[in-house]
Amino acid sequence: MHRLLLLLAALFPALAAAADPGYLSELVARSRDLKLAERPEWRKLVHYEPNLIGPGVHGLLDNKSFYNSPEGKRDPRAELEATLAAFFTESKQCAFIARRAWLDEELKFDPARLPLEDCPKFREWHDALNASSLTLVFASAYINNPSSMYGHTLLRIDARDQNERTRLLAYAVNSAATTDEKNGLTFAILGLIGGYPGTFSVLPYYIKVREYSDLENRDLWEYQLALSPEEVERVVRHLWELLPAYYEYYFFDENCAYHLLGLLQVARPELELTGPFRWWALPSDTVRILARKPGLVANVVYRPANATLIAARLETMSKEERGIAKDLSQGKPGARDAVRGLRPEEAAAVLETAHDYLNYRRATGKAEAADPPRLARELLVERSAVDAPNQAPRLKTPPRPDEGHGTSRVGFGAGRRDGQNFEELRFRATYHDIMDTDAGYVKGAQIQFFDTALRHYADEGTRLERFIPVDILSLAPRDDFFQPLSWRVAGGWQRKFVQNGKEPLVAGLDGGAGATWESRGHMAMVYGLAEGALQTHHELDGGYSIGAGARVGALVDPTPRWRINAYASGMRQFLGERDTPASIGVQNRVALGRDVALRLDFARTREADRRFNAGSLSLQVYF
Amino acid sequence: MKKLLVAVAVAAVVPASAMAAGENNIGNCGWGSKLFDGQSGIAPQVLAVTTNGTFGNQTFAITSGTSGCTQDGTVKSNWKTALFIDGNKEMLARDMSVGSGETLDSLAHLMGVEAQDRAAFNQVAKENLWKIFAADSTADIVANFRQVLSANEQLARYTAAL
Repeated sequence: MHRLLLLLAALFPALAAAADPGYLSELVARSRDLKLAERPEWRKLVHYEPNLIGPGVHGLLDNKSFYNSPEGKRDPRAELEATLAAFFTESKQCAFIARRAWLDEELKFDPARLPLEDCPKFREWHDALNASSLTLVFASAYINNPSSMYGHTLLRIDARDQNERTRLLAYAVNSAATTDEKNGLTFAILGLIGGYPGTFSVLPYYIKVREYSDLENRDLWEYQLALSPEEVERVVRHLWELLPAYYEYYFFDENCAYHLLGLLQVARPELELTGPFRWWALPSDTVRILARKPGLVANVVYRPANATLIAARLETMSKEERGIAKDLSQGKPGARDAVRGLRPEEAAAVLETAHDYLNYRRATGKAEAADPPRLARELLVERSAVDAPNQAPRLKTPPRPDEGHGTSRVGFGAGRRDGQNFEELRFRATYHDIMDTDAGYVKGAQIQFFDTALRHYADEGTRLERFIPVDILSLAPRDDFFQPLSWRVAGGWQRKFVQNGKEPLVAGLDGGAGATWESRGHMAMVYGLAEGALQTHHELDGGYSIGAGARVGALVDPTPRWRINAYASGMRQFLGERDTPASIGVQNRVALGRDVALRLDFARTREADRRFNAGSLSLQVYF
Repeated sequence: MKKLLVAVAVAAVVPASAMAAGENNIGNCGWGSKLFDGQSGIAPQVLAVTTNGTFGNQTFAITSGTSGCTQDGTVKSNWKTALFIDGNKEMLARDMSVGSGETLDSLAHLMGVEAQDRAAFNQVAKENLWKIFAADSTADIVANFRQVLSANEQLARYTAAL
């Protein structure tokens, strides 16, 4: 005890001079009696998580100034006692305002012996936020970009004087990498190895809405949380502590969504949000966790993106109106005369759609008009002269992101290939493929990480059949307004027959690009992609092969539960080992529930001049 | 932490509301032109795989352009309306063109437009869109809007809120 006080006095020379050192030792003693350092409140305020290997904990924040003790990152008690000591010196009380509030609550500071510092800077900021409730905002995927499927989360601070019509005026808390890096590749690589510090920042919600809704065309989901004023207050105070802090992230787990949950869970001592995410902290999983806590989510608001609204508008318009709207958006002469021939409501709808579509094209960098901002203004001026209310259709709220299937998947299956029976165990770490049910996801957008299959043949024993770390496919339908490219990138190891008769686990990198069309009513999609592939394995002639080919297929939903993918693909390997592999097949998925599905697949394949049939039935479980 | 302390010290000497109502203008404050820089192409999409779920999107690295107008992310009250208009120009014009919408409602709320004046406010904005948005810069838009409001008997008193 005395040694500790000596140590504290040495570390904080101001302490002895500033205040009553006897009172500090009393507080330290009481905090030990109450075991405050072991309480969940303290663990959350300093963001301690159990070590992966061995006993003990570590703090997730990485800037030294977040800790008052040099041992603070690993030693909760040392940190708590050093924090108490720091309260006796100037300025630390305001920097650690949430810690002060909690320690004061527990230890009942005597203001005569430890005066509470006034924090005007905090007060000004706190009053500007004027927080009354909190909302977790989930930005879903880009409409035709599966790579954004993980989504992104923000925490919105809703003020007392706002309502649902004025939510743009709220502030949002963003947890993100801090960098001015413009090069996407550098950003991605450095980001993965923790090259940029992650920080918390506050900014007007409208900035994020403009960015997600209007620029990136991502639908927003606002999960309004049922928290008491005191609980909201705890989060706001802790946010203040986090503003100067930073963290280094690690691939997948310690990401922005995870740290946002770390902030949110200080609201209640018993609220545990970060625990289940030791391995996977996808933003969409974070909304799932919130939705599963009984009574935590008060209400969910859907905010469709610009492109979503345009698509909904187009469905209500005639072919002629669509044509006029498109001509208007491109500034074609004559289009405005065509508008004058329409009834006011029709003219309004056409002008609104033309403007929104022009902005969509601008946001995606493809506006055709000579001076898009000027044309946009002219369309609005024209619209303002029409006497009709806003013609935007009422959108049906789609299934929420937390209502979709779980992102991890296991499959138990059995099948027969070329006369040989096999059993198969499959595992996919994450996230969604085109055969999974679409509720809460984007149809045609596939992103899978670590798709793995183990197969057992009676003759050959158990072997690794497939290990695909990354597999992305975007089947984005085209129409007269939207012309996205469909594309595919995949890389990993997969068994295949080669010319010497063996079936090695060949390393391969595939890519492709093409187009997709969808039927009216969204029941069927057809797609075609030109593809290229690079493969390497020492069993290949020359050790590698390079090929080019094509793939065509159709996705059909005969019933909401049943999906069929019928496909044909072929390739010519023209460098390295020569071959012309080809395959045709049918895949079926029948959903038995949200997290259970049956898969029945048939294929006929030609590989290294072998021709064989294969069929399999498997049960898939999502979690 | 030192940086925060310096910021605290600097902010302490800046008076909280240096400007009276009516003197509000955009000055050096603004969100910058990044708002409508679109991105396209496959390469950024593929790269986004690793960046998006792993850490936050940074289309807006707002560090400059708002210094002096914000404090730890919150907009100082005397800049609120101007910065709102600056950050929402396109959607504000869009809402004015139909005479309704959340961007227009939010602006009316910021300006303190009372419930009984909202319909007139929306209608005047709609009818005068061509005047208000005759310019590109936020300062000009604000000036035009002020002029339009001052010409209306019912709404003239809100000119000071711009």
